[in-house]
Amino acid sequence: MASPSPKSPEQSEKNKQYDRQLRLWGDHGQAALENGHICLINATALGTEILKSIVLPGVGAITIVDHNIVAEEDIGSNFFLDCSSKGLNRGTETLRLLLELNPAVQGHAVQEPTEQILQENPDFFKSFSIVVATSLGEKIIQDLAQHLWDINVPFILCRSVGFLGSFRIQIKEHAIIETHPENEQIGLRLDVPFPALAQYLDTFDIDTLDLKDHGQIPWIVILYKAVQKWQLSNQNRWPMSRKEKNEIKEIIQEFIRKDENGIPIEEENFEEALRAVNTALVPTFLPVKIQELLYCSSATNLTKDSLPFWIMCSALRNFIEAEGKSKLPLRGVLPDMTSSTEHYVKLQSMYRTQAVMEAEIVYRKVQEIVAQLHCESISETEVKLFCRHSHDLHLIKGSNIAMEYQLGSNSVASYIARYLEEPDVMMVHYILLRAAEIFRSEHCRAPGEWEPEADIAKLKTCVSRLLTDISCSPFPKDDHIHEMCRYGGAEIHSVSAFLGGCIAQEAIKIVTKQYNPVNNTFIYDGASTNTATFTF
Amino acid sequence: MVARVAGVFDEKLTEAIANSKILVVGAGGIGCEILKNLVLTGFPYIEIIDLDTIDVSNLNRQFLFHKEHVGKSKAQVAKDSALSFNPSVNIIAHHDSVISNDYGVNYFKQFNMVMNALDNRVARNHVNRMCLAANIPLIETGTAGYAGQVELIQKGQTQCYECQPKAPQKSFPGCTIRNTPSEPIHCIVWAKHLFNQLFGEEDPDQDVSPDTADPEAAGDAGASALRTEGTEAGNVERKSTRAWASETNYDPEKLFSKLFGDDIRYLLSMENLWKKRRPPTPLTWNNLPGKGNPTAQHSGLPDQRVWSMHECAQVFGDSCKALQADLKNRPEGDHLVWDKDEKSAMDFVTACANIRAHIFNIPLKSRFEIKSMAGNIIPAIATANAIVAGLAVLRAQNLLKGETRACTSVYLRPKVNHRGQLFVPEKTLTAPNPKCYVCASKPEVALACNLKQLTLKDLNAAFKDGLNMQAPDAVVEGKGLVVLSSEPGETDHNNEKTLEEIGLNDGSALVVDDFLQNYEVRVILQQKDEEKSWRLVTDPDIPMPGPKEEKPANGSNGADEPKPGPSCSKEDSDSDMEIIEEDDTGEPAPKPPKRRKVGMNNEIVDLC
Repeated sequence: MASPSPKSPEQSEKNKQYDRQLRLWGDHGQAALENGHICLINATALGTEILKSIVLPGVGAITIVDHNIVAEEDIGSNFFLDCSSKGLNRGTETLRLLLELNPAVQGHAVQEPTEQILQENPDFFKSFSIVVATSLGEKIIQDLAQHLWDINVPFILCRSVGFLGSFRIQIKEHAIIETHPENEQIGLRLDVPFPALAQYLDTFDIDTLDLKDHGQIPWIVILYKAVQKWQLSNQNRWPMSRKEKNEIKEIIQEFIRKDENGIPIEEENFEEALRAVNTALVPTFLPVKIQELLYCSSATNLTKDSLPFWIMCSALRNFIEAEGKSKLPLRGVLPDMTSSTEHYVKLQSMYRTQAVMEAEIVYRKVQEIVAQLHCESISETEVKLFCRHSHDLHLIKGSNIAMEYQLGSNSVASYIARYLEEPDVMMVHYILLRAAEIFRSEHCRAPGEWEPEADIAKLKTCVSRLLTDISCSPFPKDDHIHEMCRYGGAEIHSVSAFLGGCIAQEAIKIVTKQYNPVNNTFIYDGASTNTATFTF
Repeated sequence: MVARVAGVFDEKLTEAIANSKILVVGAGGIGCEILKNLVLTGFPYIEIIDLDTIDVSNLNRQFLFHKEHVGKSKAQVAKDSALSFNPSVNIIAHHDSVISNDYGVNYFKQFNMVMNALDNRVARNHVNRMCLAANIPLIETGTAGYAGQVELIQKGQTQCYECQPKAPQKSFPGCTIRNTPSEPIHCIVWAKHLFNQLFGEEDPDQDVSPDTADPEAAGDAGASALRTEGTEAGNVERKSTRAWASETNYDPEKLFSKLFGDDIRYLLSMENLWKKRRPPTPLTWNNLPGKGNPTAQHSGLPDQRVWSMHECAQVFGDSCKALQADLKNRPEGDHLVWDKDEKSAMDFVTACANIRAHIFNIPLKSRFEIKSMAGNIIPAIATANAIVAGLAVLRAQNLLKGETRACTSVYLRPKVNHRGQLFVPEKTLTAPNPKCYVCASKPEVALACNLKQLTLKDLNAAFKDGLNMQAPDAVVEGKGLVVLSSEPGETDHNNEKTLEEIGLNDGSALVVDDFLQNYEVRVILQQKDEEKSWRLVTDPDIPMPGPKEEKPANGSNGADEPKPGPSCSKEDSDSDMEIIEEDDTGEPAPKPPKRRKVGMNNEIVDLC
């Protein structure tokens, strides 16, 4: 062979290292992660466990904000500290050991208190993909949350105290293109075939093909032919009901060739067609959820600052109203099927071509909008991805933690009260975690950290205040308050490890913009091993 | 150092931890996390066992390992790393398979509990049986992508790992692989078999040549003319593929011509096969499609592009040479073991699978896709492992406090479900299945088969594949007649005899035991004329796996089916069943006891 030998693809060291996760979120997910910059406030055991699971898969950079000095008890529960760290800055020390996990990750440590940064240099937070905070008092939480809400940086507030833990995600608006739904509609447009497809489908005559070719007909052709035959006696309707679909199955059964003894010959493609009747004959439609998204004000009132997501939604709406004829763009993915390579490749390229064509129309419309608004351009790849997943777009509209913390008579208060009346013990834990933050804000330490007994009464006051704010009667028993004081703010490593994994997982979902993250609060009780989610 | 935690834990727990001995099986993604959690919680005595060595693809989650550790023992490095942050813990590392005579029931009995962090069903079955035999609680863990699960197995109180039959593992009839592939996976399985024939351990069940005993080809005039060289066994008589390849010095052109030319022409002569199939097209080395075309530029990963035939042949040649050189450097009689993460081995399978796919008109796949399918890769990430390991150690604390009833199974979902749950817990412990053929007090199972056809060799396979035994011994109940012995050679002379021939009939009972697993089960034979192979029957309501089941179950009980890439062969396609497998951490295909042959390739291949 004279021609120069093609290089067998060398897998880069990086791709080898990340192979197992690339299979979950793909190259573009990895690229998004590598562009991510996570800020951690307070390198507690929980904080470092979160960063560990974000550093390992290769986030771009981390910044730790921590002015605390490493104490004896930090070393006991924090994997990223050793005895030599005692007396040194906690952020700097943990950063050093965290970065050892993955040399590709950039790291910074900032030794100023968060309060000071917020006052003197609030722009500091602007560049982060997510800010994660642990062990903060109520006052600073509210200020920080409000600021991050205003500058539109996602914020995850995390707590790990004794057997209790929680996280709260604050994100103004989070649009997810790749939601990875469990059941993806196939979307073959058999009910409204595009011209090339219709033409191709018509070239088949199931009854005249010889046996060899008969066993190679792709099942979507079989399905189409069966429906056509059915329509002859059904006013060209589309089969919808179970009964009608069973009639389609009967027609497919008739298509199957019989041997000389009249026994049906096993043909895999016809078996596949029978199995596909229930899923592949769903008529092409525009889901209500997507329709609402495309016609919401963010998509209809574009400005120069509109996010690419909304510009694409707007272009998609224009497409649906015009060329798309009320249909979303074709996904262009053909499921596996028994057939000859020729048929398969032909069908595949037909679907692909049509999908590309439709995505190009949407892309042109995007470009027009971009030109009109003079905003930043959006790549064709992005638009294609958007079109391919347009059936499953998802939008989360978040809420502000600062609002949640101003109880009074707002809807959050009645939401909490409803759960407390049930009574829901997980909401009781929420109250205690909030009370502990008020305590920290007022006494600059965790309840029970120095004097477990004396702090009980103080913590009880904090709880009462919260309960009064939401017009709830006091707890009948104090055992949860005692328990909280007994913890003394200490972290149990396994609880922090567990929560750290959960929070890192949600952070990665947010940074890669894939999968729907928790909206918006998660609470864990290690004593009863219960978990709950709430939407404040 | 854990002084503050002592205040949080009550005295009972603190004392129980101080006096505990824990065995962790597997030092992979979950194993590393569990070890760290145990050490930082103050557990004083931990043994950790893992057969595997560290690979680059582990580093995205197995945080106790760094680049400089690649190639070293996972158990040993995990131990060293853990000791460096808490030298006062007593950790004993075993670079070994848990399926070994060295870890018998008495070994297991010294622990308070066992924590499984495994990646395959064989080892899980084994540890399950050891813990049942030793009556030690077992915490079983698994992850697949964003999903995961933790469950407790406690003899008499909960289901054991084998109480519910697992989704049957996909297997392919031998003649589909050898004669009439119709899907990419068939070609991939064939390519892996070819790897073994040429470089790995030769297994007669993994023949890659045309199968003339294919019932479909029966009465085939064309083939019988050519069958002068055929043998009764259905294989074309010749030297072993390895010996032949070795004689030609692994000449790529000669190998290619034989595998993708001559053998295909031979298949074409079996005309009955092609009556309703598209016949394959043999290829010639010097005239391959794609020659002279410039390599298409492709964005994204280099191995996500589908290669032309010409490129495949080049890669085939290069990888053959590389593998040959590797084999040559090994001691006489040694062989290579196929590994998805080893470049030449993966290149070889990609090229061969695609060449064969082209010949049979089957869509080609990229190297990336083939790696998923051939290696049964399940996505694995740090976060899910951390979550599951955290839960596992918290469960261990519950157990030590005697709170067994709190240790219900928990499932981590990739996203919040419609009931607002990210974690779905069982409300109570799941009671054992009274008819379980493993943990019932008198385990019993029926084996439906055709006694006139099933041979003792098949019976041995049924016990290994169906009953998950490592080294079965079988005795006829009441007669003491040994029909199968795990001692090498002792009953081999009976291998080809049918069950009827050795005097077994409908209703005969066998007492089958595995000395290693301390496991004994009564097997009642049921005569079924129509049964082509064998089938286990426990409860009429629960379908049991037989060797011929081909459809993998989609209904997931614990986790979603891993995406992307179907997992089709037996190796570790278990993630869609109750226990989610963690990819290639912990123990890979475990080393069976010395008396058995080592099989790296686990697809079940039935001769049809």
